[in-house]
Amino acid sequence: METSIPKTSTILKTLLRADLTTQWRNRRAVILTLIVPVIILVSWKGLIPKLGGPFVLSNSITIGLIATGLMGYSNSIARDRDKGIFQRLRVGPLPAWTIMGSRIAVQLGMIFLIATFVFIAGYEFDGVKLTAGGYALSYLTSLAGGLVYLSVGQAIVGGIRSPETVNATSRLIYFVFIMSGMFGELLLADAGKILHDIIVWSPYGTVKTIVAAGMEPAKWNNEASMALLVTLGYTIVFAFMGIKWFKWTSK
Amino acid sequence: MKEDNILTVDGLCVSYGKFNAVQNVSFSVRRGEIFGLLGPNGAGKTSTLSAVEGLLKPQGGTIIVDGNDAVAKPLHARASLGVQLQSTSFQTELYVIEVLRLYAGIYGVPMSKNDLLGILREINLEDQATKKFGQLSGGQQQRVSLVIATIHNPKLVLLDEPTTGLDPQSRRQLWERIDAIRDKGHAVLITTHSMEEAESVCDRIAIIDHGRVIAIDTPQAMVDKHRNDPEVIAVSRRGRVTLEDVFIALTGKAVRG
Repeated sequence: METSIPKTSTILKTLLRADLTTQWRNRRAVILTLIVPVIILVSWKGLIPKLGGPFVLSNSITIGLIATGLMGYSNSIARDRDKGIFQRLRVGPLPAWTIMGSRIAVQLGMIFLIATFVFIAGYEFDGVKLTAGGYALSYLTSLAGGLVYLSVGQAIVGGIRSPETVNATSRLIYFVFIMSGMFGELLLADAGKILHDIIVWSPYGTVKTIVAAGMEPAKWNNEASMALLVTLGYTIVFAFMGIKWFKWTSK
Repeated sequence: MKEDNILTVDGLCVSYGKFNAVQNVSFSVRRGEIFGLLGPNGAGKTSTLSAVEGLLKPQGGTIIVDGNDAVAKPLHARASLGVQLQSTSFQTELYVIEVLRLYAGIYGVPMSKNDLLGILREINLEDQATKKFGQLSGGQQQRVSLVIATIHNPKLVLLDEPTTGLDPQSRRQLWERIDAIRDKGHAVLITTHSMEEAESVCDRIAIIDHGRVIAIDTPQAMVDKHRNDPEVIAVSRRGRVTLEDVFIALTGKAVRG
């Protein structure tokens, strides 16, 4: 008689339950991730008349996406890998992709939560209100943007085995993205076209562009479409690198 | 007819770059027996076990678990295995009962909260159900990992140095649990450094060194076979030849990394 193996759907459900419970137990970190975009929203309130609600909202969401995808995901994967948690799971009768699939699904849930939190805060503190289509498209562009940072996080844990070095690297990249993306457009507008283009077409710049464009679907233009394509390109490249290099053990 | 062997390893080769950790290793584990894999540090025990568990892809040879080729049908092979790794760690934020539920789900064993509490009661850990795994003592952690390894009633249980770091009471209790696993008709493949453990628990043992199997037999037969070897007599102490004497005579006195 052939040995029976559990259904993939049962395994995914079980892993998701465990990963969601883990996320819930780490709720302090989750709250901090949600608070940073709100602080930006409140502190940039004065810029809304000049730059528009979508600009401020898209920056806030993008910063939240970076914190979740790049720092939260990569650090939790590096830590669990170092503790041997993945090896213990892998000796079970489950396809390896379900382990990461469940983790990514939880992070996508977090992205949805961040976008919702920013929309509510934007409305409450800054009076920014979007159309129904704007909210719907913004959720989709936020998910697309979140995938870029998840894939960057995957590339980091793929290329680096030590959890301490993963932590330091993700913090450094987080800082670079924040500085170049958030302040780059504001402070370096006169710094020359090349630098400006680098900032606009960086993973921060393209995500901010598509999230902002998603908030006003009627104004979606060629630049937004190009930014979406570049965003998808970044995701594919970083995910490919991260999966190809990834080792299940840090030893 | 049911095959007598639950595990057959034939000509197994595992390499790390240019280093051949396991070279042409062959052995089999019969249904209902406790089989010990003994060897000095770095002999190739854990690499052999990792290949059986599916954590390493062997460079050569075949591994058949309950009729399933571990390379061609890894999920089917792993479904028949219960595994306790050398350094076990479970999700740090989950409570013990949640870890049990997770692994029951992974192995497709539906269990209610009462079922899970019943399992913990059997190992005297019901009152630790809502503690995190890291908060348990070493002995308690071993009991939980062993119960997780057998939660799906596997036909073969792999235990990689399960008694390392345990006090004598916990070690003795673990041996009793391993005996109980065999009594239920399961086979056990165990790696250990403890010759005392191998002699008292294992039905058969294989000694592995430098990635090769150098002897396979019952512990008593191995002692009897080598009792009069000059190397064994030279290393024996207190005038009585033990399995440890045979082991040291076969693998050498030099301390390994």
